[in-house]
Amino acid sequence: MAVTHPEVPGFNLATMTDAMFVRRVLDGDTAAFTTLVDRHAAACTRFATRMLGNREDAEDATQETFLRAYRSLARYEERQAFRTWLFQILINRCRTAAVRRERRHRMFLVDDDAVASASVRPAAEASDLRAELQRVVDALDPDQREAFLLKHVEQLSYDEMAAATGVGVSALKMRVKRGCDRMQRMLREGEASDVGT
Amino acid sequence: MSEPEDPRWLDRIAAELRREVPVRPAWRARLLDEVARAPKPSVRADVDDAFGDRRRRWSVTIGPLGSLAAATLLVALGAGATYVAMSRVGANAGQRPAQSAARATSPQLVSGAPPSAEREVVRFELSAPRASHVALVGSFNEWNPVATPLSREPATGKWVVSLRLPPGRHVYAFVVDGDVTADPSAPRAADDDFGSPSSVVLVSSPRT
Repeated sequence: MAVTHPEVPGFNLATMTDAMFVRRVLDGDTAAFTTLVDRHAAACTRFATRMLGNREDAEDATQETFLRAYRSLARYEERQAFRTWLFQILINRCRTAAVRRERRHRMFLVDDDAVASASVRPAAEASDLRAELQRVVDALDPDQREAFLLKHVEQLSYDEMAAATGVGVSALKMRVKRGCDRMQRMLREGEASDVGT
Repeated sequence: MSEPEDPRWLDRIAAELRREVPVRPAWRARLLDEVARAPKPSVRADVDDAFGDRRRRWSVTIGPLGSLAAATLLVALGAGATYVAMSRVGANAGQRPAQSAARATSPQLVSGAPPSAEREVVRFELSAPRASHVALVGSFNEWNPVATPLSREPATGKWVVSLRLPPGRHVYAFVVDGDVTADPSAPRAADDDFGSPSSVVLVSSPRT
């Protein structure tokens, strides 16, 4: 994706912190928000996709997240990493989307993001692996899935996770551990059934 | 699938799940279009709650003694991770944060500078011998790179500037020839953010 940054005289853009872009937006340079989108959209879309299991809901949740972040930018406090603050919103949007989806009784189990967006169709093996992993992730309890993805995929620290989820560090560690144990079990059982077929 | 007994199974799974989900250009364009049409973000306190629920934000105001106690606690907890610009200018010079023998560049109070009712004079220094222009940006000057230039001190060669700052926590960075750079001798503001890390200085009330 082509990334375009608004010009900011006096700065090397790559070294500017997110907080500086937030300040610029609040000072009226709304184009500076583009940089925040470009820095964080990929991670947000990835988390939402893994969390919700399909691209459409993930894009909706991510779009809503950025719009809410934009409208509420004045609430951002620089003592917290912008990413953590953004994930705080995103996690809430994903939770809401999951509840909405529950109501619709709709569930997609296959992650077809890469297939849909890649110019070259990936090898069937890689696609199968991704689909299998998404199936296993989907099978986790939402709390465990959320904690596992934040820790091992988005690589947040437990303190960041606690700030983003509102859940205590001990509880998060327990959720991650249980999530890992369950995934391991499911993968082992999947292998056993593969052997049996 | 990789063998679950393999201790590296988690790394492999995480790496696979970490694969980027590309942002579709059409989605990005639609989002930026929505942003452009949205009302500009307000700096008022009563903006919409970003989290979709109506949680109330509480704040606690502490007096001068409370501020001092909180600052002391911070220093104790952070084991030197936080520098606190202490108390009254000139009167308590011995309470200034200890300076590194190798690099005395953290923000510090200016001895003898007259305190104002609301602000404390803090001196910022940076050793950057090859720089041609250095500025200070932070929450106190709206991150404006032209608002607070540093000047080179002939005697030491250091870049210096003194500012009157209100009590509180200030996030800042230096801009060295256009590159945003954290203060090498001060604590970092937030981790794992994009761009260069920022630094933090705490200023307590001049009246404590």
